[in-house]
Amino acid sequence: METSIKPLENQPPTCYNLNMSVLTPLGILILAMLIMAFLELTPGVFILFYHYTIGRFSRKSASRLSLFFILGTEIISACLFLSVYFLTSILFFDHPDLRNNVLTWIIVGVLFALSFASFFFYFRRGPGTRLFIPREFANTLIHYAKTVKTTSDAFVLGALTGVLELMFTLPLYIITSAEIMRMNNMPLPNTLLTIIYILSPVVSLFIKRWLFQSGRNLAQIERSRIKDKNFTRVLLGSSYFIIAILIICFRIN
Amino acid sequence: MKDFNEQSIIHELKIDALGLGIPIGSAEIFIKRSLSDAKKTLRTKTIITEKDLERAILKELKKYHADLAYVYENRDKII
Repeated sequence: METSIKPLENQPPTCYNLNMSVLTPLGILILAMLIMAFLELTPGVFILFYHYTIGRFSRKSASRLSLFFILGTEIISACLFLSVYFLTSILFFDHPDLRNNVLTWIIVGVLFALSFASFFFYFRRGPGTRLFIPREFANTLIHYAKTVKTTSDAFVLGALTGVLELMFTLPLYIITSAEIMRMNNMPLPNTLLTIIYILSPVVSLFIKRWLFQSGRNLAQIERSRIKDKNFTRVLLGSSYFIIAILIICFRIN
Repeated sequence: MKDFNEQSIIHELKIDALGLGIPIGSAEIFIKRSLSDAKKTLRTKTIITEKDLERAILKELKKYHADLAYVYENRDKII
C-alpha cells in the first residue's frame, strides 16, 4: 500500500503553533513588565525623596519635583532599553549561529542567578526594606534625596536610581528586545509593546506619588512595603525563574 | 568620637514632621520635649553611644507621635 506523507514545513500552521508563537513572547513580556514594576530601589528612593521634599518645600513644589524624578527614571530607562534593543538586534539577528547557543545560555544562567538573588539577597536580612546596594552607597542616596533642591537635581536622582537597578534589568532588556523583534509579523505591533514596556518602571512611581497626594505619609507607605516584602521577593524570584524556563523550553533548540 | 549636635537633630526631626503633615508648632513642642527627656534619661551614663541616644529619643518620640517615631527609627532602613 502506498502512502503519501507531506513534508512538515508544507503543512499549514496549526492552531497550537500559532497560539504558542504569540503566547510565549507575550508571557515573557508580561513577566518582564511585572518585574520592572515590582523592583524596589527606585520606589524606595522616590518615597524618601518625596517625604523630604514635602518637609522642606510646599506640596506644589514637591509635586513638580517628583515629576522630574519620574521623568529622569523614564528617560534613562528608555535610553538604556533602546540601546540594548539596538545591540541585541546586532548580536542575535546578524549572527544567527550565536542565536541559540552561547548567548542564550549565558542569559538563562544570569536569569537563574537573578532568581536566586531575588529570593535571598534582594532585601537584606533584618528589619526594614534595606536593599542589595552597598550601605555606603545607600547612605549617599539617602543624603542626596534629603538635599534635592532643583528640578535638575530631582531629574539626576531619578536617572541615577534607574542606572543602579541595571543589574536586575539588563538581562530583561535583552530578552524583551529579542522577543519584541520576534513579534514583528504578529497582530500586536511591536512599537506599542515597546512603549508599554518602557513605561512599566514608572508605574509604581506614579502610584507612590498618588498615595502621597491622597494624604498617605512615609510611615504608612513604608509599613505596607515591609508587609509586602516577602511577596515582592517571591514574585521577583519566581518571575525570573519562569522566564528562564520559558526560554529553555521555547527558544533553545 | 562624634559630637552631639542638638540643633541638627531638631532640624532633621522638623523636616520629618513636616513631611508627615504634622503642624510645625506642635512638632517643635514635642521634638524639644522628647530631646530634653532623652537628655534626662542619659544624664546618669558616663559613655553615650549614638545608638543609646537614638533609642532614648525614639522612646520619648513614641509617646507623642507614632509615625514620627517610626520614620526616625527606619530612616536608614528604607533603601
